[in-house]
Amino acid sequence: MNLGLDEHVNLDSLFHRWEPRCKLIGLIALIFAFSFVQDLRLLPAMLAITSILYALSQLPLSFLLTRLRYPGYFILILVILLPFLTGTNILVHIGPFALRQEGLLASLLIITKFVSILTIGLVLFSTAPFLTTIKAIRSLGLPSILSDMTFLSYRYLNQIGDDLATMETAMGLRGFRVRRLCVTVLTTLTSLAGTILVRSYERSERVYKAMVLRGYGGSMPLHDMFHTSPRDAMILGGIFLTAVGFVIVELIFRGLGG
Amino acid sequence: MHIPDGILPAAVSIAGYATTGVATYYSLRKINQKENPPEGIPKASLLTSAFFVASWIHIPIPPTSVHLVLNGLLGVVLGYYAFPSILIGLFFQAVLFQHGGLTTLGVNAIVMGMPALLASFIFRLRNFGGKESQLRTGIFGFLAGAFGLGIAALFALLLLIYTIPTYLDVEVERASIYALTLAHLPLMVLEGAFTAMVALFLQRVKPELLEG
Repeated sequence: MNLGLDEHVNLDSLFHRWEPRCKLIGLIALIFAFSFVQDLRLLPAMLAITSILYALSQLPLSFLLTRLRYPGYFILILVILLPFLTGTNILVHIGPFALRQEGLLASLLIITKFVSILTIGLVLFSTAPFLTTIKAIRSLGLPSILSDMTFLSYRYLNQIGDDLATMETAMGLRGFRVRRLCVTVLTTLTSLAGTILVRSYERSERVYKAMVLRGYGGSMPLHDMFHTSPRDAMILGGIFLTAVGFVIVELIFRGLGG
Repeated sequence: MHIPDGILPAAVSIAGYATTGVATYYSLRKINQKENPPEGIPKASLLTSAFFVASWIHIPIPPTSVHLVLNGLLGVVLGYYAFPSILIGLFFQAVLFQHGGLTTLGVNAIVMGMPALLASFIFRLRNFGGKESQLRTGIFGFLAGAFGLGIAALFALLLLIYTIPTYLDVEVERASIYALTLAHLPLMVLEGAFTAMVALFLQRVKPELLEG
């Protein structure tokens, strides 16, 4: 099973070189600033900033398009339904349905924010190894239980995924076919899920013993691996000012509108 | 049931993160009160991965198939670890598969995690007023699974309906809630049955997994 997130971490872009803690703070601030936007006049600026940042990250466009595909279905259904369900100003009648202005504008806002936030999220998590990003979150104050659980869960996700694939292949080779829902099929699938849980539990006991033998006492050691340079701080300042700019302009527009 | 980025207002997302912070603090405090908290970390971690993987098992419902949420079962097996486990699972979903979102992580954790904690409490009721039996495990397992999904679906629907469309017609709103709630009833039964059957399997094969 390939999760594909660390596929492009060896590129050499501004974001790949940026210190992970500063990158987290800056880009999360920008993501929340984008989610604060309600005024449509800010959408072109949002798309422009997103495009510039994605281009600077040197991540391939095909990577973004692949990542947009799956969550895009849910958003697509929503943005298709909203213009017909919400609003009072009818723009045009299409058969028995009426296309409404407010719903159309709400759809535009949702789709733009969705694409922008998802793209910035990809820049954040695909320009450094995933485990480095988790270490950065930990050094910013994430409780050790949560960070240790994240490390270990990520470590075993591939392995348990492969276990499931092997077991499904074995079931198929023994003649198990899923055609319709019946008690036999449900019993077999619950046994499959139960076996995955039991195997993982037994493996966790061995993992814990191995960790204790290596000196684990409730928190994995975190070496001081991050050093912020003046350049890192300057980039953080630039991104942070952009985020604050979006919030201020949005507030001004709301004030003018109100 | 994972609300993506771009839909909810920033205030709701921030409130979601704040509530998730409180729920995580409560769960971690309960975990730290256990006899040997570090011992539970590898178990909860690997079971988090296992639940993540188990939710990929598709159940055939012709002409299509559905995958289960398993938040009720997660509450049954992990107890107080259920909330941190769901938070981590949702973080993986958002970062690795872009399913859910980063701004909505807090809200999604509440939508899925609170019903998981409730499911854990429901399942523990099987120990009260009588000896542990297969029948009691089955009944309380079913209730935990069904309520885990049902309440999560209700939270998500109410959030979506009351936060997105500013001009949604009251009648349309009411009809949407009724229709979507009814649509989830068969799924609740399926999730409840699956949870009960897995709980019975674990009781036979590895009963300590049901101790939460």
